[in-house]
Amino acid sequence: MTDTDHQDIVRKRAMLNDYVLSLLLPGLGHIVRGWWRKGLLFWLFLVIQGGVLYIAVMRGRLAWLAYSASESPSQYWFSTTMLFLFFVILWLWAFFDLRRSIRASDVETFVQGYWQIVSRRFSKDPKGLIGLGIIAIVCYVAIFAPFFAQGNALKMDLVNFLAPPSAQHPLGLDNFGRDVLDRIIFGSRVALGIGGVATLLNMLFGGFLGLIGGYFRGVPDAIIMRILEIVNSIPFLVLVLLIVSLWGAGITTLIVVLGIFGLGPARIIRSEVLSVREEDYILAARAVGAPTLRIILRHVLPNAIASLLVVTTMTIGVNIIVVAGLSFLGFGVRPPIPSWGAMLQQAQEFMRSAWWMAVYPGLCIIITVFGFNILGDSLRDVLDPRLK
Amino acid sequence: MAVVLFGLTLLLFILLKTMPGDPARIMAGLGATPESIEVIRNRLGLYDPLYVQYWRLISGLVNGQLQAMTYHKPVWTVIMERLPATVELGVAAMILALFVSIPAGLLSAIYRNSPLDYGVTTAALMGISIPVFWFALMLMLVFGVILHILPVSGRGATLFGWSFLTVDGLRHLIIPSVALSSVLMALNARLTRASMLEVLRQEYINTARAKGLRERVVLVKHAFRNALAPVVTNIGLQVGTLFAGAVLTETTTAWPGIGRLIYESILRRDQSVVFGLALFMGACYMISYLVVDLLYAYIDPRITYD
Repeated sequence: MTDTDHQDIVRKRAMLNDYVLSLLLPGLGHIVRGWWRKGLLFWLFLVIQGGVLYIAVMRGRLAWLAYSASESPSQYWFSTTMLFLFFVILWLWAFFDLRRSIRASDVETFVQGYWQIVSRRFSKDPKGLIGLGIIAIVCYVAIFAPFFAQGNALKMDLVNFLAPPSAQHPLGLDNFGRDVLDRIIFGSRVALGIGGVATLLNMLFGGFLGLIGGYFRGVPDAIIMRILEIVNSIPFLVLVLLIVSLWGAGITTLIVVLGIFGLGPARIIRSEVLSVREEDYILAARAVGAPTLRIILRHVLPNAIASLLVVTTMTIGVNIIVVAGLSFLGFGVRPPIPSWGAMLQQAQEFMRSAWWMAVYPGLCIIITVFGFNILGDSLRDVLDPRLK
Repeated sequence: MAVVLFGLTLLLFILLKTMPGDPARIMAGLGATPESIEVIRNRLGLYDPLYVQYWRLISGLVNGQLQAMTYHKPVWTVIMERLPATVELGVAAMILALFVSIPAGLLSAIYRNSPLDYGVTTAALMGISIPVFWFALMLMLVFGVILHILPVSGRGATLFGWSFLTVDGLRHLIIPSVALSSVLMALNARLTRASMLEVLRQEYINTARAKGLRERVVLVKHAFRNALAPVVTNIGLQVGTLFAGAVLTETTTAWPGIGRLIYESILRRDQSVVFGLALFMGACYMISYLVVDLLYAYIDPRITYD
């Protein structure tokens, strides 16, 4: 047995030990290896997850624990499943990240990939981290809403209605005696859900139009651009208001209308594609006879992904504000479902007596949208390929 | 532009034809007999082919004969009665926004990465994140309900149909225009900052500095003018933002402008007012777009239109 073979075996055994440690507790393997920051980050996630689990257990709200409670446990299934899914993801992620890092540390690398540069730059940008933190918190609240809320989002307390903030109801009660904090917690689901899905549709639909227009130019581009101009010429809010008033308010209508008529991304994607298609590598791909679909999927899209990410983040913020505006005008989410915009609409009548009804939902809108905007702003800087 | 305008009328017409609610019944009012509804339906020509109806709507708008369904007045009269309120609101908001945002944007670009810059960029990001209607509500709460120094809502006294001519009207104008200007302020500050940074990178700025000009001369004479060109031309493109913001601000503060009118008309299903007003807003946007294009050539001599 040569010396190098022996070293190899020792190294492999040490590696195995690290893997076992990582499986025992995510992040432990990283810390043993000396990657403190990453290991502590995993521990932070672990603590947050544990905290959520603790709250859920203490309140008896894990789906199968809740059978004893008076409410039906069905409303807890989603959150419970997500909680355990997150745990599984955390464990797997820590394991595979460790494996990847160990393998990467064995090979000497001199060139960093684009995404490596991006992630390193992003981790040094306070703006982006703040934005990501805000969004993470809002997402957590939305996903685990039934764990955090006291269960008074819909339950009316007709004796103490309009009660000011107190220890039991930190943000007060609304005009039907429903807990404002609970309604805000559940409202985050509506805001993120509609904002997110509508933006997904925006990107798919707008991306399709933008790709066709930008890549093929000529007649299809002219037609698409005219359509965009027509839709853009009336203020977006007025158009959406008009259509929602025709089709009837509701979550599905909102998502579809915002998804189809939010054509802002299409224009940006088109201009991005227009510039990408002139690059030499597209010419090269076409010269070797690659089919159009392949060029679009393998060459145009990946090179436009940076601006797509920025647009997506910003669009979510815009959609959340528009949904809030529509709900405020009474054309958004139907009343019993808690949504931030609709809460503000109710609050308007009780401005003189119950300021808490108006202040807090608005703050939530601002913080959430601010998170998306600041993240988008940071991504724009970080993803810019010219700055290396 | 003509194509776009035609497309817009078509889009609106299709939308209105799918609107639920019988316009004849709305016009007839409550307690109308089926016979009278039928008479109105015939008078409105709801049984005519669609292109005839479309043509009647367009020609009615052009010659001013189209009647509003819920006002017993021509659509144009209704719009024109409400227009001054929105114009003064929009102009006040825009002036306010420019007075704050241009200096803020310029300063934050000049003192890049200073605390001032961070303050301005953060405030601007906050500005585009704040829903205008919530901002209006908060202003009403603080200055109207708690401090009692400004009227909470409404338009106040007017002179010749304009409220900025009277003290009372001016006091009423403050809250809606400040609320409406918040978004514009943020947008313009970001734009000014970006454009100033771009200009400061140009070589003629280096040249100006290299030939020994004082920094103030470099900034005022060489940088400002070039940096402001995109900002000035962009004002025209913000007409759409203004209208959308006006719908929310005017409904929140009970300001009787066209933003509130279109909201009320949608609620009342007054199709002719909605049609006229949406078309009016679209036309305003397109005209301002055109003006911007022309203005661009005037401000930047390198651009010519043949």
